[in-house]
Amino acid sequence: MQSNNSAGKVIESNLGTPPYSSLQTKTKKRKVNTVLFWFILPGFLIYSIFYAGPTVFALYLSFTDWNGVADAYNFVGLSNYKELLTDSPIFTQSLGNNLKFTLTVLIFQTILSLFFAILVAKNSKKNVFFRAIFFFPTIVASVSIAFIWTFMYDPNIGVINSLLNKVGLEQLGQSWLGNQKIAIYSLAFVQFWAHTGQVLIIFVAGLQAIPKELYEAISLEGATKWQTFRHITWPLLAPSATIVIAYTTIQSFKAFDLVIAMTGGGPSHSTEILSTFLYHEAFTNFRFGYSSAASVIFMIIIAVITVLQFKLLKSDDVKY
Amino acid sequence: MKGLSKNTLLIIYAAIVLLPFSMVLFTTFKTTPELYRNPLGLPDSWSLTNYQDLFMKESMSTYFMNSIIVTLSSVAIIIFLSSLIAYAIFRLPKKIGYILFGFFVVGMMVPTQVNMIPIYLLINKLGLLDTRLGVILVTVGSLIPIAVFILTGFMKTLPEELIEAAKIDGAGEWKIYSKVVVPLSLPSIATVTIFAFVIVWNDLLYPLLLLKSTEVKTLPIALLSFQGQYLTNYPMIFSGVIIASIPMILAYIFMQRYFIAGMTAGSIK
Amino acid sequence: MKRKLALILTLAMVLSLALAGCSSKDSSTDAKDSAKHTITFLHWRGEDTEVFNKIIAEFEKANPDIKVEMNVLPSDSYIANASATLLSGKGSDVFASFPGSQFEALQDSGVYADLSNESFLSKFSESLIEAGKSDGKQLAVPYQLVYNIPVYNKGIFKKLNLDVPKDWNSFLKVSKTLKDNGYDPILFAGDVSPSQFINPMVMNNEPTDDAFPKLETGEEKLTNDWFVKTLSQIKELNDKGYFQKDPLGTKKEGAAALFAQEKGAILALGSYMMSAVKQQNPNIEQGLLSPITVDASQMKYEGIHTATFMLGVNAKSKNQAEAKKFIEFLTDPKIAAEYANGTGQMLTLKDVKYDSPELTESAKWLDKKTLFQPRYTLKKEQVSKAIETAVQDVLSGVEPEKAAKKAQEEVDRAIK
Repeated sequence: MQSNNSAGKVIESNLGTPPYSSLQTKTKKRKVNTVLFWFILPGFLIYSIFYAGPTVFALYLSFTDWNGVADAYNFVGLSNYKELLTDSPIFTQSLGNNLKFTLTVLIFQTILSLFFAILVAKNSKKNVFFRAIFFFPTIVASVSIAFIWTFMYDPNIGVINSLLNKVGLEQLGQSWLGNQKIAIYSLAFVQFWAHTGQVLIIFVAGLQAIPKELYEAISLEGATKWQTFRHITWPLLAPSATIVIAYTTIQSFKAFDLVIAMTGGGPSHSTEILSTFLYHEAFTNFRFGYSSAASVIFMIIIAVITVLQFKLLKSDDVKY
Repeated sequence: MKGLSKNTLLIIYAAIVLLPFSMVLFTTFKTTPELYRNPLGLPDSWSLTNYQDLFMKESMSTYFMNSIIVTLSSVAIIIFLSSLIAYAIFRLPKKIGYILFGFFVVGMMVPTQVNMIPIYLLINKLGLLDTRLGVILVTVGSLIPIAVFILTGFMKTLPEELIEAAKIDGAGEWKIYSKVVVPLSLPSIATVTIFAFVIVWNDLLYPLLLLKSTEVKTLPIALLSFQGQYLTNYPMIFSGVIIASIPMILAYIFMQRYFIAGMTAGSIK
Repeated sequence: MKRKLALILTLAMVLSLALAGCSSKDSSTDAKDSAKHTITFLHWRGEDTEVFNKIIAEFEKANPDIKVEMNVLPSDSYIANASATLLSGKGSDVFASFPGSQFEALQDSGVYADLSNESFLSKFSESLIEAGKSDGKQLAVPYQLVYNIPVYNKGIFKKLNLDVPKDWNSFLKVSKTLKDNGYDPILFAGDVSPSQFINPMVMNNEPTDDAFPKLETGEEKLTNDWFVKTLSQIKELNDKGYFQKDPLGTKKEGAAALFAQEKGAILALGSYMMSAVKQQNPNIEQGLLSPITVDASQMKYEGIHTATFMLGVNAKSKNQAEAKKFIEFLTDPKIAAEYANGTGQMLTLKDVKYDSPELTESAKWLDKKTLFQPRYTLKKEQVSKAIETAVQDVLSGVEPEKAAKKAQEEVDRAIK
């Protein structure tokens, strides 16, 4: 880390040199300032060596039949991809489940976190307190969340069904984790229960960046709450919303711990999502190469969705 | 009336969050048989034996210390490096910025399970197996994407005039970064810090993969030994979870100050 | 405020630098201490940690030049973490593995050192360590013996004057009596039971003992009568309400809790649950029973056993001699008894003295005619999963023929 600090000093001393200042002419198109590449370098190296590199290697394995433990493997070309796309109903089912899961989480997590972020955005003691409480589930390790909710959902000794019975709504009682049609939504509920408070703080940070004067101005004009939200809050919050939506999408696509701990993908693959599918292929079926190919498709799907979201939210017209 | 309904909503949400959480807390006062007899209710007695047993485990303080070391170092490095990257992306021409942004952010989309084994092999080759440094480096590498993603998103919203003004005053990039952009970005930096802190502190994947000796193991691995094939000692695990959550609560409260700091910094113009 | 933040950042970084230094020192001092061999022992039995810690202490006392570092991984992510250490040869000198597809994949990859010539093999019951053999070589030794048949509550059976059923009709009758008396006859755990209960259900229905392996060669099909009949019998139990409410939504913890609270009489898991149940309810008296799916005259097997927790030595390990010494230590009768009675597990070793009522009860089954768990005779996990899925489908209301057809399609994909 020391190297970073000294790099910083070098950068500073370089700043005054003529070539640098000449770059900063008043041209409309900003010129590339090489100093900025020094800013990127240390992070770039750590990320490339310790994360991107191993990932690329794993992706290379998608063209092989490696089993995950042997020293040797064969190159099999695109056959893993072919099998996934043409002859793997469980992969297709996992993708469908994942879309249901992600969409449910995305809708509820975004709306709820935005709504409650607006309620607790101001830095009063009470709001700080509530923000901390909402953040709680994020703090607790997912093993405890999975355990608690497994018991909440339990059909015989669980809380939810017995509560429904008590208030006379037993017809609403469900086989929350056992019914193949419902289980994935029960998991989605736990997911956004656990993470709404987390993305809420992104909205809070975004809301706090909005200058107060704007609110004062519009309230002087006698705007209603909805008008304030529509004309000030929402447009200025768009960057935070982009972050929340993209983050939630990726996070829920990658959800793993909860699903593995609560249903393991069952019953009958009805809660199998892409991450559990990959995991089972790699480490219980010993088809690492095949699992890597599924990862590649998985990443492409997330990337496409994320880019579409960015386009839709038009955040690309904000400068970089 | 309005204030009342707002408070009601907040309290309902807080209850939905706290009720299941309180069960985690209650569980720590129960024995395993009691837990299964009465999984969600109040404990028979408020006995602290689980906590005592946990602390009797000789290496607990080592594990705790290791967790602190790994988390603090990783988070500090992540925040420093990612804020530099985000700043550079923010300042570079749009096209280059896009490419860099894409290069880093695509790392968020990698499913965690896919590169476990290659990472292990790499760390083994570098001789960093069973060292905290190995875990720190991998953790930093894996979390730079999300930190860059959030920080870049927020930096885009900074008022350009401030930076132009600093430039006119003759400030270099480092000065603009450290004296203008970082102070203005404190709320988002605090957000990312708390995100990273929670993720690293609770992380099981990389420590479990890379750390094998008692001297370097972190807290979540230690709690694993209570998890059995057929019988899991949940009261003990949850006692550990409660104790493990204390540093995170402290970190959260500490970071809360920077939300406020950021707000005042933003309003001074 | 800024300055404080900067200060904290710098401090943390200096700290991490310092630690980077000292952590590498850690490992170098370890290496210098070469007089002492450290072997690592990798397994998934979290519930045995304390007993193993004691045994390891005794081992280290008996072998002062060897240190054992035990790493317990959760069973559901066991192989994900173990495979990396197996590849590198570091971190898994002695390791446990499951029979069946896992053993197949590992032995296929040449992970195991050959144990065929070790003298400790003679201490095992020969028939029980077959699962660790491949091509005549003993590559791993199963240590635990498990009966994968339901546990029943002897007290409830006594109270209702019920005998252990010997054929399908009496099994149905017993279930009916239990239900009529307000008990849940069979407690079924949606996550684990589909892969457990199917074994005794299929053992007398299958035409030959190797029907499951024959699925992988294509000689047998899940759409054949014997499997469809098995599924229909599971459906019959479900339709008659002999499982508790919502079996698929119940997890093993929930099912075990109902059993321990004596709300249900038969727990469709295995002998391994007995000590866990006993912990929850010390007064419960437990036994083992099998659903016999045929007439008494046609019965071939009384139950199912599995030899598991297969201990192997990593072929890439530099400490193979020490690793074997550790396994040998575990086969010592005194140590074996300490492990068995401390953890409530039956062992594959001969002449182990069991002292708890649960173990004595299980030990009775040593003399009975039991079949090695059919599911673990499968080499491909996908086939095993297809069978499990078929059971779940039937419990979700799918017709047995249809569920069998879907499962067979999955098998076809796996073996092509």
